Amino acid sequence: MALKDVEVKKKMNQFLYTVVLLAFSLPIITGFSLLILSSFSNEMVTNFDFLKTFLTLQNWKLLFQGRIALTGGLRENILLYAFNTLIVALGVAVLTTFVGTISGYAISRMNFKGRKILLIMMLLLHALPGSVLIVGVYFLYRVSMPTNYQFIRYFSFFYVIIARAALEVPFSVWLMKGFFDMLPWEVEWSAIVDGASRWKVWYRIMLPLIKPGVVAVLIFGFLAGWQDIIYVRTFLIDKTLATFIESNLETEVAYMPLLAAAATFYLLPTVLFYVFSQQLLFKVYAGGIRR
Amino acid sequence: MLRVLVLLALLMSVVILAATLQDGIISVGQTLARNGVTEVRYSVWASGDPNSVIRVQGIVEAARRINKIWAEKGVNLKITVRETRYELDFTQMYQEFLSKQPLGTAGDFLVNSYVYIASLAEEGYLLDVSKYVAKYKEFTEDFYSSMLNAAKYKKGIYGLPQDTEARPLFIRKDIAKKIGFDLTDLDKKVAQGVFTWQDVYNWSKESVSKGASEWGLIHRRGSAHPDLMQFILAFSGTLYDPVDDKLVLNKEAVLKWLNIEWTFAREKLLPSDIMAWDWAKQVHPAIVSGKTLFDIGGTWYWTEWQTKSYYTDPKTGQARGLTPEEVEQWFYYTLFPAGEPGRSPVTLSQPFMWMINSKAGSQNPKYSVLKETYDELAFLIAAKACDPDINAIHSIISAHLPVGKSPAALLADKKWLDDLYEMKIDLDESVKKVLTDIVKATVHPINAKFLTDVAYMLEYTNFPPMHPMYPKLAAIFAEVVDYVLRGQMAPDKALDYIISKINADLDLKESVKIVEKALPSSSCPAL
Amino acid sequence: MPRVVKKFDSRMIEPWAFVAPALIIVLIFYFLPMILTIYTSFTPLRNWNISRYAHQIVGWRNYQRLLHAILNDPSVRAVFLTTFVFVSVTLTVNVLGGLLLALLNFFLGKKSSSLINTIWLLPRMAPIAVYALVWYYFFHGSKMGTLNSLLLKIGVISQPISFGQEFLPLGPWSVIVFVNGLVGVSFGLIVLSSAINSIPSEYLIAARVDGATDWQICRRVLIPQIKWHLMYVTTWQLLSLLTSYAHTYLLVSWKLVNKTYASPWALYVYDLAFTGVFDQGLAAAAGTVLVIVGGFLGWFTLKILGFDKLMGQPRGDL
Repeated sequence: MALKDVEVKKKMNQFLYTVVLLAFSLPIITGFSLLILSSFSNEMVTNFDFLKTFLTLQNWKLLFQGRIALTGGLRENILLYAFNTLIVALGVAVLTTFVGTISGYAISRMNFKGRKILLIMMLLLHALPGSVLIVGVYFLYRVSMPTNYQFIRYFSFFYVIIARAALEVPFSVWLMKGFFDMLPWEVEWSAIVDGASRWKVWYRIMLPLIKPGVVAVLIFGFLAGWQDIIYVRTFLIDKTLATFIESNLETEVAYMPLLAAAATFYLLPTVLFYVFSQQLLFKVYAGGIRR
Repeated sequence: MLRVLVLLALLMSVVILAATLQDGIISVGQTLARNGVTEVRYSVWASGDPNSVIRVQGIVEAARRINKIWAEKGVNLKITVRETRYELDFTQMYQEFLSKQPLGTAGDFLVNSYVYIASLAEEGYLLDVSKYVAKYKEFTEDFYSSMLNAAKYKKGIYGLPQDTEARPLFIRKDIAKKIGFDLTDLDKKVAQGVFTWQDVYNWSKESVSKGASEWGLIHRRGSAHPDLMQFILAFSGTLYDPVDDKLVLNKEAVLKWLNIEWTFAREKLLPSDIMAWDWAKQVHPAIVSGKTLFDIGGTWYWTEWQTKSYYTDPKTGQARGLTPEEVEQWFYYTLFPAGEPGRSPVTLSQPFMWMINSKAGSQNPKYSVLKETYDELAFLIAAKACDPDINAIHSIISAHLPVGKSPAALLADKKWLDDLYEMKIDLDESVKKVLTDIVKATVHPINAKFLTDVAYMLEYTNFPPMHPMYPKLAAIFAEVVDYVLRGQMAPDKALDYIISKINADLDLKESVKIVEKALPSSSCPAL
Repeated sequence: MPRVVKKFDSRMIEPWAFVAPALIIVLIFYFLPMILTIYTSFTPLRNWNISRYAHQIVGWRNYQRLLHAILNDPSVRAVFLTTFVFVSVTLTVNVLGGLLLALLNFFLGKKSSSLINTIWLLPRMAPIAVYALVWYYFFHGSKMGTLNSLLLKIGVISQPISFGQEFLPLGPWSVIVFVNGLVGVSFGLIVLSSAINSIPSEYLIAARVDGATDWQICRRVLIPQIKWHLMYVTTWQLLSLLTSYAHTYLLVSWKLVNKTYASPWALYVYDLAFTGVFDQGLAAAAGTVLVIVGGFLGWFTLKILGFDKLMGQPRGDL
């Protein structure tokens, strides 16, 4: 509940708080706005120097034509890269949600030996740096690679998705556990007494009840997969938007407004997703750590 | 055992019979066709500035030319380039190649700086083509001899020269005129060691104090390597000793270099924060708008200033590229002057190489049985990509220097240039499509003349060391030159810092020898 | 509750069937790589050349080289200092910042809080490459940089400052704390905001009726009520910060910040493995050390917080 439910707010305080808030938020607003603006300009406008600049759609035209510079370069298929990024993101989303939901249910609902250790482990795994893991993950990739060339490309997608989703599993398990914790026991109890298996209960009864939670974890997983750069760079054979930007950000020869357009394009789903699912995200983050 | 002997005999006979490329192509094609192969697929990874697409298209065109030869000789085989990849950041591409080669997912051809040959060859990631170079002697004789040397590592040859450049000192003719700096025959004076950095300093001071230019000198940002290594060479220092395969830290030369950076920055002849400058918004615009008298640049700047909009036209207020005439009118170029009287001028080249993955073609049928043949085919494709006209096209459109005598001759051929401008050269249609707009923007007799005229610098050229530990040393230089420029570290302290950093890293300590005085002459190969 | 003896066996296995996928994934992509990394730290692996170096054991050489570097290389020593400063300062920023924003959220009401959340979630949700690009231009050390041009325009400075490269070590430290702080604040914001929202209204009504000011409400009601959540946020963020490097590595590779003073331990490990001479053996050694420290810190923090409080018993069982 908010304070306004209780009484009339003091106007002076309100004003002060708003000003403070705006001041703190200014860097973020400025930084992102200028980048997006630059993608519509003939040069980077990050220094408020608008004298020689004019708005243009040229950068976006070039981007979708697959150019990496004003002249030269090969034609890249930016939509294909977006599609590749999408596959990774969806894969991570689905896998993380699935794993988190079933594990979260069990930990929330069932008492079994090792439950406590499991939860502690999930928390501590969060302390393992990705940069350390990656040498080992690469080793594993090398060792498990199929020899048939036809399959390698699919394998690389497969591997990236599972490896990246793995990094989100501890978090998603904790989160879903928290959501399940919020649900009353009665509905489940009656279903079990009637003879339903745990799986049926989970699927038919519990899942629909925490739909918002499931959707939220899907979104988190999607965004984690969408923004990944390290794993995708190391393991994926195809390019995603992240690797496309990073491998062409050579400040000596790059035409930066074009890259700003690529960055804005890359940013788009992020903005879309959470603008529309804001309240949901809030509930999720908080719900996950309720006791 | 018998099979091994037979194979060995066959190999030796193949090597002994020196051949032309054409013969080799036909023979290899017939071998593959005989074994039931109808299609071979290769992938190309290349990187660099946007106009250097020949690094990919050269292979595509080479494949087409080989397919044509096979078709004419009735060989039922064709090459398909299954993947092409071109990125701007060549360091990134090297990192990717490094991690993906052991997995077998890296490109079959890699076109990148020769400097990476050391590490890649050391790990066995590249194909050693020395026996093919020996076999196809005629073809390799056209290269400038120093070029092929740059691809050598230990006892093998790991690439074919793709292009090179030089690093001239550019001087603004209009500013020079304002301060009475006579540029007549200056390039000869620099070449003779008569005009040195002492003079550069004096004229810089003159220009800035008279208000003729804002700065006296501009140079690269971000790292000391490669451009600034010329200072060390210009003081007769060296970076590498091939005798004991060690990197060299020449205290005298390094100190003198840092003194120049320090002095120029303190006297405001060179921006103290230049290491953080932005290429597109600051470095090039400053040079192009006449804000500096001297610039330590690269031969590719000549065309870059024409294709990018660094210049603000004072009449219209619009940003645009320079015309070839303007570049010629405003810029004079010389070698990198000697550090002080008694030393020699230098320049620095970082050739790019056609490199072949040691696993090249491994996705093709019967690879394990026919590996030798596939290897030779990969070499032949790269060799065909070195065709004089392909190299000449690359030179003119990307403003790099040609790597051999034949491509250099084509650049001086006006008729050929005209044909190129009209796209009347015999090229694959897809290649033509990619090249058309670049050609229109860069092919111009003035530009071609520049490339021909500047080629003399290759006689004075040096190559940065191809030692696996060199990147670490280069990183230390990069760090230190920034401290010195900003005034955070005086040159003598900086030198001590460099030495302490070398000693702090066990690998570097083993690989670097520290020398007090400059050696009498530079030990790097020239033409 | 009555026990259904019939399904005894399956009930014992059942929970494990549910957690099996998570366990398998964690085993394969956390534990196995960890073991492989520790193994690699005893090999001379470099340039990803597994087939050549993976079966050569060089004993403690990598650790010796690491120790030598720590003792002799001033920039490696700087990494320790940077890690300590980075983690502690950013943690404070994240927790206090999150708290501040959550409180402001509370006092400002629904419409404003919607906007706040949108803006402050952006750093966390934006793709890393894009996020790094934004700050590359913001902190650029020339007059092209956003911050520089602003300060120049209002006359605070006369020359552009290279925030990431000057005033070592404070300059680079400030930049990386800022960049990572903005990402971390959102976590605290969300958790604490929801925590505040779930405080029973009776407490607040009572406080207002007593004539409490906003500040007194914070001190007496809000903060005490969300103590547990504050502890949770602190723990989670502490562990996150020890292992974070993604948002910083691009800024280092684009040379916005001085490498020595912008590299916490996790980034130092990444740097060893992915740049320079690609020394994965040494990186593995440095990484193993980090894991030991991180694991210890995590365990220690849990002990202090009292882990049982975080867990609670399962909701229902037969």
